[in-house]
Amino acid sequence: MYSTLRDGPPPRPSEAASDQSRPARRPAGLAVAPVVLMLGLTSMLTDLSTEMVTAVLPLYLVLSLGFSPLQVGVVNGLYQGVTALVRLAGGVASDRFGRHRDVAAAGYALSVLSRFALLVPGGSAAVVSGSIVTDRVGKGIRTAPRDALLSLAATENGLGVAFGVHRAMDTFGAMLGPVAAFAVLSTVPGSYRLVFAVSACAGVVGLAVLVFFVDRSPAPEPAGRPGPSAPTGTAAPADMPAQPTMKMSLRDMMLAVTDRRLRRILVAGCVLALATIGDAFIYLRMQRTLEITPTMFPLLAAGTSGMYLLTSVPLGRLADRIGRARVFLGGFGALLGVYVTLLSPLRGMTALLCCLGFLGLYYAATDGVLSALTSAALPAGARTTGLALVQTGVSLGQLAASAAFGALWTVAGVETALTAAAVLLAVALAIAWSALRRTM
Amino acid sequence: MTASTRSSARSTVPRSNRWRRRAAFAVVVLCAVALTIGYGISLAHRSSPVAAQAASPRPIDLTSLLRTPVVVFRSSERGPSYGEVSVAKLNDLTAPRVVTNLQCDRVDMVATVGLCLAASPGIYTSYKAFTFSADMQVRHGFNIVGIPSRARLSPDGRLAAVTTFVSGHSYASAGFSTATTLYDVSAGREIGNLESFTVTRDGKEIHPTDANFWGVTFDHDDDRLYATLSTGGQTYLVVGSIRTRTLRTLTTNVECPSLSPDGTRIAFKKRAQGSLVQWRLTVLDLATMRETPLAETRSVDDQAAWFDQNTVAYGLPRTSDQDSVINDVWGVAADGSGTPRVLVAQAWSPAFVQTGISG
Repeated sequence: MYSTLRDGPPPRPSEAASDQSRPARRPAGLAVAPVVLMLGLTSMLTDLSTEMVTAVLPLYLVLSLGFSPLQVGVVNGLYQGVTALVRLAGGVASDRFGRHRDVAAAGYALSVLSRFALLVPGGSAAVVSGSIVTDRVGKGIRTAPRDALLSLAATENGLGVAFGVHRAMDTFGAMLGPVAAFAVLSTVPGSYRLVFAVSACAGVVGLAVLVFFVDRSPAPEPAGRPGPSAPTGTAAPADMPAQPTMKMSLRDMMLAVTDRRLRRILVAGCVLALATIGDAFIYLRMQRTLEITPTMFPLLAAGTSGMYLLTSVPLGRLADRIGRARVFLGGFGALLGVYVTLLSPLRGMTALLCCLGFLGLYYAATDGVLSALTSAALPAGARTTGLALVQTGVSLGQLAASAAFGALWTVAGVETALTAAAVLLAVALAIAWSALRRTM
Repeated sequence: MTASTRSSARSTVPRSNRWRRRAAFAVVVLCAVALTIGYGISLAHRSSPVAAQAASPRPIDLTSLLRTPVVVFRSSERGPSYGEVSVAKLNDLTAPRVVTNLQCDRVDMVATVGLCLAASPGIYTSYKAFTFSADMQVRHGFNIVGIPSRARLSPDGRLAAVTTFVSGHSYASAGFSTATTLYDVSAGREIGNLESFTVTRDGKEIHPTDANFWGVTFDHDDDRLYATLSTGGQTYLVVGSIRTRTLRTLTTNVECPSLSPDGTRIAFKKRAQGSLVQWRLTVLDLATMRETPLAETRSVDDQAAWFDQNTVAYGLPRTSDQDSVINDVWGVAADGSGTPRVLVAQAWSPAFVQTGISG
């Protein structure tokens, strides 16, 4: 069996020994910790809530309030910077105080609040924009502590499966959102407010799952890393409070998140993000060359999500078996497959299925797997900060790439832009491979 | 972390505590669901008494009404007529209006023909555009994509322009884009999307990928048109020719132009400086390119319609309405003087047909 990435630098012989003893105790399988399922349920309900609103908001704004949605679209770019800041601050805070659950809950609560804002009578553009920004800020705050909780609840060689299960549940909720929204609208026609109320209700239940069924502080790390090593495999005494073994000084946290292994992941993640052009462009290109009418746009997203849903768990498991870095790089190989398909003379159904299949695989092999890869390279006490750092780096990289690709498309045309993106991605894959090589 | 640690962590929670958590969770879920259902019932009830009131239309002969000067609009009156194309006498706007059975989100009408845009929300929301005859019967349907936003006919009804909003999906946070398509009404066919037209800015041809067009208005010659182009964060007033499929920029910061009946002025919404969501209704004189802000100081997000040579009409949501579904059509002098007044109450998307509708 191929050894997967281990927690925390540097690997110690004692851990290697415990690694070997683990498969016997917990055979690789789909069994995941109850906390993972609870976090999955929270995300599922929250995504259901978010996508219910996303599905009907444009209709509500244009048909009910008579707005030009462009006025809402404008604010979209503004929150990205804010999100990056709160994400990092939230990460440091949850690690420092050992309060991952509470920081995540604050993020989920903000999103629930944003739904209630839509219920305020006399909806205006300011309220709607405020609601969208609040929701995004909430998402920025909660992602890293939630991923840290997931990683702390999973066995070291079950990280990939745990993230896979979580992302599958999350995607399932997102796919269910529009169905639920239009089910409500067909029950009471024209009642967008009832859709928002049901969405808020789903959000409240999701938040309640987190608050009532996920412990406030994650269970302690068994090996007591990175402090003096405790005898491996010994469980912490049941009456011992969780925090003392978890918390790290700010200096140790800084050391942990600037450690060479995390730096390598950060470099790989950011370089690859810089070669990611964004789905909007992929769908636009598909629409233009594959002669797909925009009415099929929702189906494209559904196809991609469906593939993501189906392959998330198997790819997580594969990542645990053959190495997370390999599956992660493989995912970007699938993205390269999308670019190549778009540049190829392939047309019609074949091209469409290739694109959607590759795109779904790309998500399934990179989103949760990157968090698993990052978690494994971080000591428990600096996990949220490290995850927040990598996630922020990746999202800023994607933002820059999307802007640059749009500009290149305008100046040089779509073929040139796509070719450049494909070449850039190939180069990025080579750089990422050499950065992650030693961890494979 | 090992499996044994996790089970020991779990056992730190006493059994009674676990049941307490489950009970608290059940209470929260029950409360949330009960409140949502209660809200749903109250929403359903709130609209029904008004509906009963509105359901007493007085019999008025539509055919004879249409021969007089009329305004055709989308009713925003709560009740069964909500969203239906309605007709009112221009000389007596307070008189009872006639409700047709056409359900539209945006409507325009000239003496000979009408244009309707409608959405049927669903898991797979579909949209349609169709023309209708002077006796309010559906004539010809066009396929449209995206949420209906603006509809405009040429003065003689031979051309039509439709602007829709095509929204992104969950992964693409790129926001919204618009699609503006021209149709030949008499031939019943699509002429093309404005994005396929050649655009020149300051004499130079440009090919922006972020181009969005909206709010077309036609001149009398069935060739010249005006519209808004947005690219690189700037909006432009463009003037173009359908025959040559070309457009060129005239000036900046003009949205949703509407050409006056005599073809000399354009009423439009001008984005207020430093604001994303505030527009001032303004009139542009095409001969002098001079702009006159109108006396309406509230933000107007609509493509204006000309009531007559001297009055500009536009829709505004009623702020006192809790659900903000009721709109009124207001009017204000086109020379910047006077004060705004309600022209047609509980109405949206007005089309003023001074000649009456003849078919």
